[in-house]
Amino acid sequence: MRWYQRFFSRGPTEKKLDAELRFHLEQQIADYVAAGMTPDEARRRARQEFGGLEQMKEECRDVGTAHLIETLMQDLRYGLRQLRRSPGFTAVAVLTLALGIGANTAIFSVVDCVLLAPLPYPQSDHLVMIWEWNLHLKQVREPSYPNFRDWQRDARSFQEMAGYKWHFFDLSSPGTPEHIASMEISSGFFTMLGVKLPFGREFSPQEDRRGGAPVAIISDQLWRDRFGGSPKALGKPLTLNEVEYTIVGVLPPGFRLFGDTNDAQVFTPLGQGDPLILNPRGSYGCIVIARLRPRVSIAQAQAEMSTTQNRLDQLYPEANKGMGTEVVPLKKQFVGDVGGTLLLLLGAVGLVLLIACGNVANLLLARSTARMREFAIRSALGASRSRVVRQFLTESVLLSLAGGGLGLLVAEWGVKPTLAAVPGSLPRSGEIGLNVQVLLFALGVAITVGILFGLAPVLKSSKSNLHDALKEGGRTSTSGHHHMQGGLVIFQMALTLVLLVGAGLLFRTIRHLWETNPGFDADHLITFQVEFPPSLTKAPSIERAAYQQMLERIRSIPSVEAADFTYNLPLRGWENNAYFWIGSRKPAIIQSAPQMLVYNTGPDYIRTMRIPLLRGRFFTPKDNNSAPCVAVIDSVMAHTYFPNEGPLGQMLTFGWTPPFGPCQIVGVVGHVKHWGLGNESGYVRAESYYPLYQLPDQWVTASEGYRSTTILVRTPLAVDAAMPAIRRAVYGTGREQPVYNVQTMQAIASESMSSQRFPMILLGTFAGLALLLASIGIYGVISYSVAQRVREIGIRVALGAEKSDVFRMVIGQGLRLALAGLALGAVAALIFTRLLSSFSHLLYGVGTNDPWTFAVVSLVLTGVSIVACYIPARRATAVDPTVALRCE
Amino acid sequence: MNEEKSEFLKGTLDMLILKVVALGPIHGYAIAQRIQQISRDFFQLQQGSLYPALHRLEDRGWLKAEWKTTETGRDAKFYGLTARGRKQLEAEVANWEKLTDAVALILRTAE
Repeated sequence: MRWYQRFFSRGPTEKKLDAELRFHLEQQIADYVAAGMTPDEARRRARQEFGGLEQMKEECRDVGTAHLIETLMQDLRYGLRQLRRSPGFTAVAVLTLALGIGANTAIFSVVDCVLLAPLPYPQSDHLVMIWEWNLHLKQVREPSYPNFRDWQRDARSFQEMAGYKWHFFDLSSPGTPEHIASMEISSGFFTMLGVKLPFGREFSPQEDRRGGAPVAIISDQLWRDRFGGSPKALGKPLTLNEVEYTIVGVLPPGFRLFGDTNDAQVFTPLGQGDPLILNPRGSYGCIVIARLRPRVSIAQAQAEMSTTQNRLDQLYPEANKGMGTEVVPLKKQFVGDVGGTLLLLLGAVGLVLLIACGNVANLLLARSTARMREFAIRSALGASRSRVVRQFLTESVLLSLAGGGLGLLVAEWGVKPTLAAVPGSLPRSGEIGLNVQVLLFALGVAITVGILFGLAPVLKSSKSNLHDALKEGGRTSTSGHHHMQGGLVIFQMALTLVLLVGAGLLFRTIRHLWETNPGFDADHLITFQVEFPPSLTKAPSIERAAYQQMLERIRSIPSVEAADFTYNLPLRGWENNAYFWIGSRKPAIIQSAPQMLVYNTGPDYIRTMRIPLLRGRFFTPKDNNSAPCVAVIDSVMAHTYFPNEGPLGQMLTFGWTPPFGPCQIVGVVGHVKHWGLGNESGYVRAESYYPLYQLPDQWVTASEGYRSTTILVRTPLAVDAAMPAIRRAVYGTGREQPVYNVQTMQAIASESMSSQRFPMILLGTFAGLALLLASIGIYGVISYSVAQRVREIGIRVALGAEKSDVFRMVIGQGLRLALAGLALGAVAALIFTRLLSSFSHLLYGVGTNDPWTFAVVSLVLTGVSIVACYIPARRATAVDPTVALRCE
Repeated sequence: MNEEKSEFLKGTLDMLILKVVALGPIHGYAIAQRIQQISRDFFQLQQGSLYPALHRLEDRGWLKAEWKTTETGRDAKFYGLTARGRKQLEAEVANWEKLTDAVALILRTAE
């Protein structure tokens, strides 16, 4: 028995088929013998009549599904053996695919988690956020607490409505003191979300008001860390800002409102919050989430909210006139505009996979030449064409499944570090990981690409002639390959160019952003926050003195050039806007007044930040609460609102509730890029400064007063070198106060670019991967072509061609492919960059058809192609004509 | 067997096999013999069509197969008709009769 016969006669079904046919044959022979033939004659005659045995068996096999599975098993066994037989090919193909599929799976797992997966609440599509909408400024804003309570009472579209505010507490007992993030929430907050507390209960409406019992709900983590996960934690005290709260509930493990890691640890009743901030209807900062009643649409809820808000406008025109509402699905709110970027990245990583497929298809094509003879033999022995195709595809799908399996590891291993490299750039990133959808995606992708690249040699083999293949032993008849392989290389080059251009444009954007003057000197600046003990914050005068003394101590450190405190910082996205008016021109409707950005700072702020003083003066320590109110504005505000008159000496009123001022404008400073280093359009650009030392007493001690300021230190030292001395200076009050959020201004600037940096890093990685794959691709094809053309090259050399001619010929062949790819890619890239620029936040300071980017990228690609062709070209020059001519 | 005959056979092979098998369990060789004899050598059934057809009919559930010993003491695969196969046969015969009637009618009246 030959190996292929053994191969065909496996399994019980095969044996039975053999027996059945053998019985037929033997009966026939017996009949012929009975009719008078000699046994030999009878056997010959019967065999002749029987015809193509294998073909018939093949047809019988093709009938049933059981046979299908059996042939599949055979194909798998055979495929595995084939792959084992050429480990080099298998390893390269599987690794290539693993990179391609892995990268795709990684990005898909992010897309799945961020965009596709519902929020982790029951009927989460009924959850919405409700905002106030300033009709004049076309801006959303958080409603005030009184407005939220009125909405909650009046609106019928919602099953439940709840509000929350961010808050920070100094947790001092039990355990070590710590500054923790917390949320003030209204009663019914967790019921509204559909979150059930495993221990304890939610706040009652009686607790959710001024004077209610101090109660708290804690996170699962805090419960484990500080109470050892004991149910006895309920009823225990928790000391927050020196006030004892009683624990009434514990949250389930893994509860994260925003799906990322920096969520609140402690929850306290919203109604017990600071009345200074809660009570004014004109203030804001209460975030509202609601659950729609069943069968109420967003549009219906929006319509009802508009009516409700109109009524409030009439009741409280001072605070509400000109304010509409906006109802936004919660998921949309969380995901924001990151969706477009992610889909863009998914597209880009898809291109990488196509390039990887191109490489594997090329490898298979090269191999299929060698295997042409094998398939010709099998066809001649009765294997039908569909059977051969199936065998081919089984092998390629086997390859891609192996690649996919390895790719899952790549994805699992690659996602977390990638996300960690760009913190804060993705919402819900805490939930990202491998799950069933991701596994199915990887499986689907693997099978699809397996069929895709497996088809290339099949299409090719359909054109080849069996007879020729058998006759020539598969050594020639390869011209068709050249076209197809060349085409694949051109296609890979084009796709690589597209990715390189995309990454290049983003890279240029980031360089532009770095080079942008933010209006201050971001180098050598350290920022941090300090939590003061309640003994130092119980009275405004004590708190003022404490801060002043601390700043003086910091300034007396020899390495510190300047230091001060500020309520607001640029590039953090902090929104500290205020309506304003000049002189006595107070508008009837405050919401129609223009807005400016406010920095409440100490007198040394602009010296610390190195913001240029353009006219007049900045604050001095004498501008305190016993001196007349002063203000400073920036050049944009001076230019916009005082185009003809000098701003100095004008009176500016800050339209807070209650209004601050009027304050005399005493200086003009340079504009600072507050909203990011890129485009500022769509944001409030006018900037003003208000002295922190003039803050009214009740605001100094408020929860959003001095204690939420940031200390800013200019020092030539690195953070690690500078911080010990600074900490000692802060601790000089005699008690160790938590120093937290230590960050350099450089890091803040870098973080402000995360919406560009995240796609740039990923696109850059993909482009690098594409470049690697494409250069392997062109190397493989040129090497193969040189190997095929050994005889031709030998003839050329024999006829007098110089080594340099041969070298040029091979390099030229590679270059032609690369250049064709570049031309094709340039067109595709122009389309792609249009797409890129449609995401307004991605590109800055660089055109979509930036000639520099295109030129550099093309040069890189050409250079890499030449390098990739160098080795095969050298090999071609080494061809010895006598050997080459003799070998065929 | 010439081209014409084989073409003619193709559409009706399944029906003829079902009809022959309907007489009682029978193995492949005997089916070929029986069809050849009854048709007075008009149909010379090729193994190349017979066995794929048998396997197809079995796969569709119209035939059931069983390994049994022949009178000569050898093991052979015997095919028998299933209930569904009988229904199929009736339907195909009815169809066939309608077809031949119609063809005959045309041939008669068109003269």
